[in-house]
Amino acid sequence: MKQKLLLATLKTPPRRSKTWRSVRWLMKGMPVHVLAILLYCLGTQRLHSQESVNPSSSVKSYPEKVPFDINAEPLRIAFISYANPQQVVRDTETVVDYLRPFVGAPIQSTVTLDYGSSIESMRGGKTDLAFVDPLAFMMAHEQIGAEPLLLEIYSYGKAAYHSSIWVHKDSGIERLEDLKGKTIAFADQVDMSGHLLPREIFVQKGLLPGNRFDGEFFQQVYFAGGDEQAIRSVLNRFVTAAGVSQYALLLLRPEERDKVKVIATSIESPSHLLMARKGFDSEIKQRVKRALLALNPSTPNDKVVLSKLYGVQGFAETKLSDFAEVARVAARYGFVKDPQRFANREND
Amino acid sequence: MKFVITLKNLGPSKISSLFKLSIMRIERLIQIRDRNQETKISRNDGASRAGWVLSLLAGLLAFWHPTQDVHAHIVPPENLHPVAEIYRRAVFTLNLNPVQWDQIRSDVDAFGSYWKSVDSTQSEQFRRKAETILARASVDPEKQNDVEFLPRKDAALHVFRLLTRSVASLIQNQLIAAERNLGQHANALKHVNEAREIYAAFEDVVLATDPEAGARIGINWLKMIGAIGSPGLLGVGEIKADPERFARESRDILAYTRANFHEGVVPAGRKLAPWPVNSPSFNPNAKLPAKLPPGHNVNKQIPRPRQILNMTARGVDESETPLIAVGDMAFDSSFIYGEPMRSLGMSCNTCHNKSITNPNFVIPGLSVRPGGMDVSNGFFAPHANNGVFDPLDIPDLRGIRFTAPYGRNGRFASLREFTRNVIVNEFNGDEPDPTLLDGMIAYMNEFDFLPNPMLNRDGTLNERASNAALRGEKLFSRAFPRMNGMSCASCHIPSAQFLDHKRHNIGSVRGVSVDSIDQAMDTPTLLSAKFTPPYFHDGSLPTLRSVNEWFNTNYQLNLSASELDDLTAYVEVVGDGSDAYENSSLYLDAEMEEFSFFLSAYEFLDEKKKPELINVTFQTVALEIRNHKWELQDSSVMPVMDRLAELMDEAHQASLKGDQALVANKVREYRNLYESNVEILK
Repeated sequence: MKQKLLLATLKTPPRRSKTWRSVRWLMKGMPVHVLAILLYCLGTQRLHSQESVNPSSSVKSYPEKVPFDINAEPLRIAFISYANPQQVVRDTETVVDYLRPFVGAPIQSTVTLDYGSSIESMRGGKTDLAFVDPLAFMMAHEQIGAEPLLLEIYSYGKAAYHSSIWVHKDSGIERLEDLKGKTIAFADQVDMSGHLLPREIFVQKGLLPGNRFDGEFFQQVYFAGGDEQAIRSVLNRFVTAAGVSQYALLLLRPEERDKVKVIATSIESPSHLLMARKGFDSEIKQRVKRALLALNPSTPNDKVVLSKLYGVQGFAETKLSDFAEVARVAARYGFVKDPQRFANREND
Repeated sequence: MKFVITLKNLGPSKISSLFKLSIMRIERLIQIRDRNQETKISRNDGASRAGWVLSLLAGLLAFWHPTQDVHAHIVPPENLHPVAEIYRRAVFTLNLNPVQWDQIRSDVDAFGSYWKSVDSTQSEQFRRKAETILARASVDPEKQNDVEFLPRKDAALHVFRLLTRSVASLIQNQLIAAERNLGQHANALKHVNEAREIYAAFEDVVLATDPEAGARIGINWLKMIGAIGSPGLLGVGEIKADPERFARESRDILAYTRANFHEGVVPAGRKLAPWPVNSPSFNPNAKLPAKLPPGHNVNKQIPRPRQILNMTARGVDESETPLIAVGDMAFDSSFIYGEPMRSLGMSCNTCHNKSITNPNFVIPGLSVRPGGMDVSNGFFAPHANNGVFDPLDIPDLRGIRFTAPYGRNGRFASLREFTRNVIVNEFNGDEPDPTLLDGMIAYMNEFDFLPNPMLNRDGTLNERASNAALRGEKLFSRAFPRMNGMSCASCHIPSAQFLDHKRHNIGSVRGVSVDSIDQAMDTPTLLSAKFTPPYFHDGSLPTLRSVNEWFNTNYQLNLSASELDDLTAYVEVVGDGSDAYENSSLYLDAEMEEFSFFLSAYEFLDEKKKPELINVTFQTVALEIRNHKWELQDSSVMPVMDRLAELMDEAHQASLKGDQALVANKVREYRNLYESNVEILK
């Protein structure tokens, strides 16, 4: 009996109960400063144009499995390697194993080390599906007619992200205007979240020209070679500001993160995505789409597959017009030729 | 096959696995790739395999992919180039007494292997010089040797200078190669990136002691990246290289490294480090930041082991146990220790996570394997260094109130004495306040063993145990002639928590000499032992079976393989427990509740007039919140976490000024804010 009692207590939370907390809360009520902080939280959070997706709460069902036909035309998928190609090679095996019963055909995976390779392979008809970033997709869409298939869902259930302007917390810089005559580092000239989106923040304020990369607002603009190098340049006070992805902060060590702060955020960009070759078999395309949409991070097996797909939390449907806003930004600098094509909902 | 090296968007979920990649591992991965028939890697130029390997290394710091695995306060290793990693680890080790020459040899070998991939002639010279020094450092000075003994300090200085000069040479090599490759963007970029990453070997010291020059060099690197140009994407955005600008920036960096690091000068009385002594802006009085060497891991284990506090298991309201709250806070606090523990943010909880052995814990130079450390070293407490490399397995603290005496060799009769020694002598803290020690003892006395449904009250197995375990139980009590007629159960008494509270020399410790009498160790309990490998005082045995095999061999027990299986099955059942791990990787809400528990001692400490302990509490809560806030699942709640930490800062400042009314106000504000947000702080 005593043993049972001890085991039962183990099942209870290690600390105080929710009831206890609620009682304390009711007794004390909500002070004004709490409301102020909550309002502050709401105020500082961007209202996202794209709806948040909660991958675990939506109803998911797997598509029907189809008999495997070894003689069928193989499905060819290009995976991008962000860091360790051989790890991605291994990861693709899990993904291919997951997809195969839903596709019913052999699957060939290729790991590319840059988006240009994926697009050129698709242009040559050697790749059917490819994982790319929004800028590469838009260029591929214009140049070879690639179609958007699925957006990746990141932490917090979002299929979008934004860029930020970071400064050192002790810099005294509070507004974009304070950066006049100072230095800034972006990640790379050809980079949506590491250059074009953060640059757009200054363009919208009228601080930089919206049609070319030069401009006299800053004393000097640097391309650091990566998000981490850029934000680290702020941390180490080499430059006054950095314009990079919202997630660049997480490239700093935890103890370093509180030393930088955001003074402005950009418009949102759709997340990285899976795109399909123009004219690719629509039935196979739909099968892949349904299989990936069915992935649920709260299911252990699916979680493993998602962990091999860049650790995303799931996938969300997308359409061309999701890219309208970022296409407009990319068009300023010649990366996209016809942004209207993305804005026109008839093309969805 | 075509390859292009842009390596964009380094994913955070990949980062931790990436940091550890060495050239050898990458080459091994390439071999796996070559055998893979189904999956191909494509790139766009004709770079050689070696070039690709170097490019990959060069790109390790590249970009970012916006996905994130959120886990309990897991700090990834610093992202360092293998050369910088080796250099920093070697310099850390060279500053220790004694120096682990085996580890230095291993690092020197790895350094040489890298250099060989760049320049075989120079690497051979490096190897020969290093080998000469290491051979002289390693000989026994008491014996007649072919080579002359080199005292530790001299040998360490020689190795340090050789490595420092070599790092500077490698930076120079890479910059020259980059300049030669200007116009071929991918190649030039990989060499510059590699030079920059190798420079990281020196950078933390330069930024700390010569910040003016450090910032100038930081800009040099940025300008150099710009001078390489850009290939654009699909024909858009191409920028040509600027050789003149590149050469200018490169010259500045080389001039600095040549002036400061080719000699490896160490100012008198300072530890070995790449001091830029010849820079006009060098500050000789600057302090170096406290850092652990690359390869360390002080993260807590995931999944988190389940801690059982006796009071909680009995349903006691924690808000009315202030002394235990003080102890819980102190157990998690780095502020009860001295430097470098404080700067490193380490606490009792780092090694004994929630009282349980942290099997991940490792510090190169101080550990021989994960889960242990030499606690009498010169790094954490120079005054108490015993000059001997004697790493110990981290003991599990479950049921610690039953396990006296304390210390692996049972040298402390009381837990209080033991704890005081840990604070003052192992980790350089000030003499602890009696109330703090009382609190720590009160808290640790709450640590319970895991419940074990297969054990009866007298420690015998019940009917739930397997037949093998029941057979093993009999073996456990069998008297063995080579053990002077004793059995395993003679020391690990089942009815007494599998202890005898004595020290024995079982032959597991190497003494000073054959006849020395300095080898006894305290009998450890077997309860909950299944979850605390490795075993023995030094963690030299990896499994419970290996422990049984050790006894079988060393005491000639003549147990057959099946008897060893049975004995192991028994020990594993005794060492087992229910719900050993928590079933989630998200613990922020529990952590936040624990920080409130820390603060519940405020009134008690105020009444006892213990402002210093109140300050430690505020500092600890603030630091803990800042450490854990990155675990938030909803980043929009971050301002609440920040405010909670700020309130603790403000309470600390008010306390330092003696403004008790303001302190009380801030504590009240904290509690209100926490209670109002308790459901979302997860």
